[in-house]
Amino acid sequence: MAQVEIRPYEGLINRVYEIFSIVDKLPLNMSDEEVEGIMHVLPADLAKTMRAFTIPRIRNTSLKFLGLMKKWLDGAHEAKRVGKKVMLVPFNFPPEIVHSFEGAWPITSEVLSTLGVAALEGQGERYWDYAMGLGLPDFACSANMIEVGSALTESDFAPDAVISDCFASCDINSKTHEFLARYLGIPLLFLEKTVDNSERGIKQYYKYFFRLIEDMEEYLGEKLDEERMRAVVENANRASELFWELWDLHKFAPCPVPNVFSLMVYGVRYTMWGTEEAVQVIRDMVELSKERLARGAYPAEAEVARSLWTYTSYYFDMGGLFNWMEENGITHLGDGLDLIFPQPIDPTSRESMLTGMAEIARNMPMTRQMGASSMSVQWLDDITWASRELDANCCIYCGHHSCKQTWSGASVVRSELMKRAKIPTLILQGDSWIKRMTPISVLQETIEEFVNNVVKKREAPARATG
Amino acid sequence: MRTLQSQSTDIYTEYVRDWKEKGGKVLGYACVATPVELIEAAGILPYRIKAFGHPDTELGDAYLARFNCRFCRSCLQLGLDGTYDFLDGLVETNGCDHLRGMFENWQYVKKYDFFHYLKVPHFLREDSLEYFTEEIQLMRQAIAEHFGAEISDDALREAIDAYDEVFAKLKQVYALREKVPPALTGAEVMRLICTGSSMTARDFSALLDEVLSEKEGARVPEYKARLMILGSATDEVDLIADIESTGALIATDALCYGSRSFWSREGESGDPARLLAERYLGNLFCPRMFTEYEKRRDYILETARRAGVEGAIITYNKFCDLHGVEAVSLRMDLEDAGIPVLVLEKDYGSKADTGRIKTRVQAFLERLGK
Repeated sequence: MAQVEIRPYEGLINRVYEIFSIVDKLPLNMSDEEVEGIMHVLPADLAKTMRAFTIPRIRNTSLKFLGLMKKWLDGAHEAKRVGKKVMLVPFNFPPEIVHSFEGAWPITSEVLSTLGVAALEGQGERYWDYAMGLGLPDFACSANMIEVGSALTESDFAPDAVISDCFASCDINSKTHEFLARYLGIPLLFLEKTVDNSERGIKQYYKYFFRLIEDMEEYLGEKLDEERMRAVVENANRASELFWELWDLHKFAPCPVPNVFSLMVYGVRYTMWGTEEAVQVIRDMVELSKERLARGAYPAEAEVARSLWTYTSYYFDMGGLFNWMEENGITHLGDGLDLIFPQPIDPTSRESMLTGMAEIARNMPMTRQMGASSMSVQWLDDITWASRELDANCCIYCGHHSCKQTWSGASVVRSELMKRAKIPTLILQGDSWIKRMTPISVLQETIEEFVNNVVKKREAPARATG
Repeated sequence: MRTLQSQSTDIYTEYVRDWKEKGGKVLGYACVATPVELIEAAGILPYRIKAFGHPDTELGDAYLARFNCRFCRSCLQLGLDGTYDFLDGLVETNGCDHLRGMFENWQYVKKYDFFHYLKVPHFLREDSLEYFTEEIQLMRQAIAEHFGAEISDDALREAIDAYDEVFAKLKQVYALREKVPPALTGAEVMRLICTGSSMTARDFSALLDEVLSEKEGARVPEYKARLMILGSATDEVDLIADIESTGALIATDALCYGSRSFWSREGESGDPARLLAERYLGNLFCPRMFTEYEKRRDYILETARRAGVEGAIITYNKFCDLHGVEAVSLRMDLEDAGIPVLVLEKDYGSKADTGRIKTRVQAFLERLGK
C-alpha cells in the first residue's frame, strides 16, 4: 500500500486539539437555531458528531463532556510545554495513576482514536492507512491503530513514553504498543495481568503493579507524593460513587439515562478520572438522568428493548447508533467498556492507596475479563451479572473484527447467557471505529430485525430466571 | 525416513496407537512453553497438538470465529470431531489469544477429566521466574495427583537429560540441513520435528540416530536459492514442500515447529522445577514475550547467517496478532542486514492458496536473481 503523507498540522492529536478549541467558544443553553448555524460551518463528519451530541435532550451535558475532553488535551499540551512527560496509555490502564504524578500526563490511545473519528473529516482513516502502509496488519485494532498510526508519522504531537498493560488480555494491542515504543525510540513501561484469579495470582499481580510504580518513579525522577495521590484518590472515590448512582438509574424502565452516556462515562473514566473536573461531568450526567426520571422522559413512545452491549459499541456514527437506538425504543444500557467496577480506595496511606489502585487496575475492562483464568467464564459472569442488575432483555456483541480474544469466547458466552439468563444475543460484525467495514445502515437494519423478531417475543425478563 | 514420511502427517500415528494399546497415557499440549520433561517424567507421553494443514473447520468455526487463526480452528476441529479422542487430557498455556480460545472451547465441549492451565508470564524477570517456577510445581502436582504418578526430582533430571540429548541431535540435523550442499530439505526436517513431537525423548533420540546415519552423506537435488522461513505456528509440511517445489530450498527456519522448539534451553539452577522455569521462560524466541524483540531478532539474524541464506520468508497465518505485528520490525531489520524478505500472509491449510503462494515465491526468487 502506498504510504499516506501526513503533514504536522494533519496529525490526529494536533488536528483534534485545534478543532476542539471551538468547544470552549460554545455557550451552554444554545437554541436549536444556534446549533443549526454552527452545523453549517463544520465539515460533514464533525457536523454529524456534533449533531449527535447537541440534540436538545443532552445538549448541555454533552458540551460539558466535550469541554472536559478539551481540558484533557490542554493538559497534554501544557505538560509538554513545561517539560512533564506525556505517557500514552491504553484504555484499560487507570489514568488516575498517571495523574498521581506531578510530572506526568496520560493520553489514552483509544480515546484519541475515537476523538479523531468523531471530529476529523475522513475520520481516522488516513492514520489507519498510514499504519497499513508500514506493513502493519489489517486485522489490527483500529481503536489503537488510528492514534498509533498518527504517532508513527512522527509528525504529530508525540508521547514521551508508553505504558502497556495489555499483554495477557489483548495480544494485538500489546504488540502494537511494543512496536510503537521501539519505532519512536521511547521507553515502554509495562504491567502484566496474571491470567490467574487465585489468591496467588492476585498477589503476583500486585507485585507487578508495585514494580510498575517503581519504574514510573524512576523514569519520571519523582517519588509519588502521598498528598497529591490522596487528592487524586478522593476525586476518584467521588467519581466512583457517582458512577454507581448512574448505574442504578439505568435500572428504571424506561431508562432515564441517555444512551450516549454509556460512551461519555468511559470517556471520562479513561482520561480524567481522579480530577475534580471528571467528578463534575459525571455529576452532571447523574443530575440530568434524575431529572429525566422525574419527568418520565424517554425519546420514544415506549422502551421496547433494553440492550446490554457485551463488549464495545460503534463509534463512527454516534447519532446513527446511540441516538437512533433510543429514538426507536432501544435502550443502550452500557457496554463492556462500562464494566469498570470502580471501588472506593482507602486513602489512609501510600500503601493502602497503591493497593487500591492495583485492585482497580486489575478490574479494568478487558484486563478483568480477558486477563482472567478463563476469558469466557469471567466475561460471561460479568455480562450475566450486569444483565440481571440492569434488567436487560437482550445483548448485542458488536463483533469488532480485531477483538480476537472476545471473538473466541463469543459463541460460548452467547449460548451460556441464553441458558443462564434466557437472554438472546445478537452477534454483529464490523469495525467499531472504521465505517468502511459495515455501514451504520446495515447495523441499524440488523438490530431492528433482532429486536422485532427475537427480543419482542421474549417471555421472561432476566431477573425472573436463573 | 520412508516410514517417517508415511506416518508423519497422521494425527494418531502407529507410535501413539501402540503406546495407548500398552495402556500408556497421552497428554496434549500446543505451545513450546510447555515443559514436556514434566509430562514425560510422569511416564506420560507428551503430544504436541497439530493439524497438518487440515482444511476443514466447520466444527471449530461454531466456537471460534472466522477472525481467529485458522491453525487454532483446525486443531479445534480435530479436537471436536473425535480425531483427538485418544488424548487423556490437555495442558493449556496462554501462548496467544487464539490458542487460549482454542483450549477453552475444546474443554467446554469435551470436558476432559484432566485439564491443566499452565500460566506462562510474558516477560523474564526474577519475579516472573519465581511465579513460573511455582506454576511448574503446580502442574507437577496436578499431573501426579490425577494420574497417580510420582514425579521425583531424579525422574525430572533424567527427562531433562533425555531432552537435552534430543536437542543436541536436532542441532546435528540442522547442521546437515544448513551445510552446502545440504543433506535434507526443509520439508523433511519439519516432518521429522513434527513426528518427534509425539514421541518420548528416548524413542525420538533413537529415530534421530537413524536419520543422522542415513543422511550423513546425502545431498538434496539442485536448488535455486537458500531461504530461511520464520513466523507463526505452522506444522504445514505441505507448505514447505510447495515452496521448495519452486526451486527454493528452506535451508533453515525460526519456526516454533522448527528450531525455536529446541535451539536453546539454557538454565543453571540445581532445583529441577526452577531449572525448567529458566529453560523455558528464558528461551522462548516467541513474540508473545514482551520487550524481548532484540533477543528474537538477534536469534533470527544469527540463524540466517549460520545457514548462509539468500533471502527470508516471513510467514504468518491471517489474524495472527503476534507475528502480524512482529513481521514489520523483522522485515525492516532483516533488510537492513542485507537479507531480502518476502512477507507472506496466508490462510492456514488452505489448498486454494497454494497457487498464490507459489507465484509469490517464484517472484521472490526472480527478485533474488534466481
